[in-house]
Parts: sequence; structure tokens; C-alpha cells
Amino acid sequence: METPETAGRSRVAQPRPGAVDAGAPLAAGPGADLAVADILARIEQARATGGDEARRQAVVRQHALGKLSARERIAAFGDPGSFREAGALVRPLPEHGETPDAPADGVITGDVRVDGRPVVVSATDFSVMGGSSGKAGGLKSARAIQYAIDHGLPYVSLMDGGGHRIQEGLDSRHFAGVSTPFKKMVDLSGWTPICAAMMGPGFAGPSNFAALADFVVMVRGTSTMGIAGPALVKAATGEDLDKEELGGASAQVDRYGIADLAVDSDVEALAAIRRYLSYFPSNARAPLPVHPCDDPVDRRDAALLEMVPPNSRRAYDVRKVMEAVADRGSIFELKPGYARNVVTALARLDGRPVGIIANQPKHFAGTLDSPACEKVAHFISVCDAFGLPLVFFVDIPGFHVGSPAERSGLALRSARIIYELGRATVPRLSVILRKGYGLGFIAMNGGRTFGADLTVAWPTAEICAMSIEGAVDVAFRKDIDAAENPGARRAELIGKFRSRVSPLAAAEGFGVDDIIDPRDTRPVLIEALARTAPRRSASSAPPKFHDISPI
Amino acid sequence: MSAIDVKSEISGRVFEIVARPGDRLAEDDPVMILEAMKMEIAVGAPCNGVVKQILVGNEDSIAEGQVVAILEAV
Repeated sequence: METPETAGRSRVAQPRPGAVDAGAPLAAGPGADLAVADILARIEQARATGGDEARRQAVVRQHALGKLSARERIAAFGDPGSFREAGALVRPLPEHGETPDAPADGVITGDVRVDGRPVVVSATDFSVMGGSSGKAGGLKSARAIQYAIDHGLPYVSLMDGGGHRIQEGLDSRHFAGVSTPFKKMVDLSGWTPICAAMMGPGFAGPSNFAALADFVVMVRGTSTMGIAGPALVKAATGEDLDKEELGGASAQVDRYGIADLAVDSDVEALAAIRRYLSYFPSNARAPLPVHPCDDPVDRRDAALLEMVPPNSRRAYDVRKVMEAVADRGSIFELKPGYARNVVTALARLDGRPVGIIANQPKHFAGTLDSPACEKVAHFISVCDAFGLPLVFFVDIPGFHVGSPAERSGLALRSARIIYELGRATVPRLSVILRKGYGLGFIAMNGGRTFGADLTVAWPTAEICAMSIEGAVDVAFRKDIDAAENPGARRAELIGKFRSRVSPLAAAEGFGVDDIIDPRDTRPVLIEALARTAPRRSASSAPPKFHDISPI
Repeated sequence: MSAIDVKSEISGRVFEIVARPGDRLAEDDPVMILEAMKMEIAVGAPCNGVVKQILVGNEDSIAEGQVVAILEAV
């Protein structure tokens, strides 16, 4: 009969080279009679060989690069002492009779608690063969993702190096059947929050994994992202580029928007992911995490009366409006340096997480160009996946126009916002601060197109198909040219149309639910959210398998 | 001390030049105002510095990314 003791022994006594320290087999075969305590001691010894204490030199090298070790990162990320590792004893499978020295096979996996909630984590270990993924490490990563799928838990990947282990990759017998966890990442996408921290070299594979994450943070100076690194680029095209210029944080975060946030250290990156997760439920079917709120729900900020200049030619900083309305200190801006003409931020209203999308008149007059459209579309998609209501602050003179806009495919990219709004099921509330012009107004959830759950205007709102002056010049050119006094005729036409463009007219035509005192914006939004169902039914959709994104 | 290009992020027309050579500016202080999309858009200083040279005049058309002034970083 198998007792727990013999069962334990028979498990560890299996001849599995590489499962524990391969150099010191636990059992010599039949007849070996080690006490359980001895076996445990050997296992602990094997475990210790993979720890930071046993690998001081590797850790010191990491520190010298300005980076934490993979284990230090996990410890700093999770609640203190909460890490439970899966696969600490893994060693690479031997190839051609040799077993590389690769503790945990270069990737550390398990789960931690973040603010008390379980989160699955994996961290590539740059000090183990550059963080490259071997067969056993690949199995660990895949299992971590599967665990997140099965248990509905957020998945956080801390990346430093990685990609295919080249020793294995340059062998068709191995590579032709390449099996990465991409499919699992797609299965996980939208089910639980996925975050990636780029904390070291990340060109190629790791960047593609990060691209499937909802939120990506890069560490300035140490991390890179991109489809191929400088050496490969130089060999392929002759282009000679420095890695920072090609794929450093300032390029990939602020210029290209590949990642959401750039920070100055590993610790800041981990704190950013903790903060990001605080706005999200553990999975798409879990309730939103509501935080205690000591900011009064009926707070009326008098400064809101002065924030939007009455002269519509004047710019202002829409972030001040957001700050005056949202719970104090709750705004967490994503992609703050990229497509600054629109602001996307996580925030809270009476403790409930929301996603805010606001035109930023300070940049590009608040128009939407292609980068801004992609920024907004991705943000809507993430918020909708996890049930965060959308709040729009609208002051848009339209989409960006001109040849650069067309070259960037703006007609398609702008439609991605329309697509995401059309399929979204979360509550969406719009506040028209000032301009609501044309198609851009619709893309900002203006009007009745996407069934806004609340649409209110400030007294400064002017909602119409395009700027009045522009419309008059285009549509009435012949009329103006034929007039005895073209200037006077133009002014007359502008005056005539201006009298029809007002917040009151918008309310009379029931394009907005009401006009509000700007100071009431916070209480009005909070009340609206409190009475809005968390999801609208998608039952009116035809029985298709999925809709097709314009990009 | 290094020379820093002040670039316009948007194409438009120079509406008003607010800084003069020798002026000391803080980051984001307006160097000039452009008119674009029927709005007055400030071109701000990319960093703290002293205006060395203004490269454009009133009413000039400005292309996206065009250098409109030079700062000397301080």
C-alpha cells in the first residue's frame, strides 16, 4: 500500500534528469533507502541553487545595469511575502547530452497578491541565458497563462530579455513545430487584465507578447521594444541605429505609442502596474473594485466656471477639468506623452472606476489624428472588456485634416473608434464642454449615435457639423462672391448660422439631455452612474461570430 | 550651453510672436501663437532656456515639425 511517505519518495525518485539538481540524483535506484528528511534536504539544496543567494554574481551584474533581479522584482511587485512559486525546481531539458546551467529555465512563475487580490505573475530572468525561453520555460509560461484563464486572474509579465533560446531555435526539428503561448494570450485577452513591464531588452518576441497586453510600462534607459533590434536591422537593411533611438522608452512610449507609460526604475514600473490593476476587476465577470471615497459626491468646484475660455479660439488644459470632477488624486493617465491631443485616463467617481476620454485643446487644437484615434480605440476596448464606464469630455473641432492625416490612413483609423463605441456594452456619459463638430463629435460619443446613457452640455457648448466660418466659406462661396459687398454678406451669413448654434438649441432638439452648470458636473455624473445598469444587452445583434475591425 | 530647436507640432499660420531674443523662458512657456484649426495654439519652450533666435515672422505658414525658434538651454 502506498503511504504518503512512499508516495512522496516515489515521486521524487523518478529518473527525471533535470527535474532537480541533475548532478546529484536523489535515488541511486532500487535499494536506495534515503530518509525523507535527506531527500527534502537535497531538494532544498536544489531549490537554493536557483535563488538569488546562490547566484550573487548574476544579481550583482543585474544591479550594475540598474535593474533588479527577477526574484526581487516579483517580491517588490506582490504584497509582502505573498509569492507562491510554481516550478522553482525546473531545469532545462538536456540537449545532446548536456544540461545548460539555467535555473528555473529562465522564467519564474507563480502567483502573488496585489492589494490582497491574487495575480498570476511570470518574470523572465535575464541572468539565465539572456532570459531566453527554453522548452521547459515555455511550458511554465504557458501554464501560468492557462492558470490565469482557468481561475479568472490578472496576468502580469515582467520581461527582461527573452525570445527564443537561439541554441534551440537554430534547429528545424525544434523550430518547425514552434509552440509559443500566443494563442493562450489571445484566449486570455479581454477575460482578465494583462499587464507587461518591459525591464530590459525586449526586441522581437517579447514585444509581440507585450502587444497583446492591455497595459505596458517601459523603464527608461534599460528597456527596449520593437520588432527587431539594432544588430538584426543593420544586417538586414544596413540602417545603423542605436538601440535607444530604435526602441527605447522615449521612442516607443512617447513617439509611437507601443507602450502606455515610461518610468525611471523597476520599482516605479511595478508600482504603476499595481496602480493600474487597482481600477480593474480580476476578470470580465467580476464586479468593479470600488474604493472608499472621502471626496464628497456633491462637491462643486467653482473653478470649473472659468476653465473653458469663452473665446473658442483659446486653448486650455482639459486635465484641469478632469481633476476638478474626478475623485481627488484618482486620475491615472495612460499614454500621457503620446497623442497628447487626447487624454485617456483611469479615474474614480465616488470610488467607482471609470475611463475618461477628453479632447485636449492645448495640443493640435484637440483634433483627433491617427495616433489619437488608436489611443482612444484601445482605451475604449480595455474599459469595455472589464466593465469600466466611459466618460467623455468633448471639445473637438473635428478630425485632423490634410495630407499627413490621409497618409496615416485617418479615415480607417478614426473608424476604429466608431467600431469600438458601436460594440461597447458599458455605460457611456458625455459632457460637451465646448466644440462638438462633425464626425469628430460622433467619435467622441456625441449625439444619439451610440446611445449615450447621459449627454449633457456646458453653457459654452457649440454643436454643429463644422465651424460656422468654415462652413459658410465652403457652402456659400458663390453666394458671397456674387454679393455687392462680399464681406458684409459673409458676416450676415455667419451671424445667421451662429444664432442657430447654441447649447439651448441643442437641448431644444433633444440632442442633449440637459444643459448643466459646469460646477454640477461631478454630482451629475455620479448620479447618472448610480442609476445606470453596468452592461447593456447585446441581444439586438445578429447571430454573427464576431464583427470586423476596420484595422 | 546647448542650442535647442523649438518645433511646431502642428501646421498653421503665425498669429503672434510672444517671446523675443534674450527672453528667459520656463518649459512650456509660449514662444509664439499659431493659428490652426481656427484655434490659437501656443508653441511652447521644450525646456527652460533663453531665446536665441526667432526664425519666422507674423503670418508665415508653418509646417508640422518646422523649427520656429532656437533656445539656449540653461
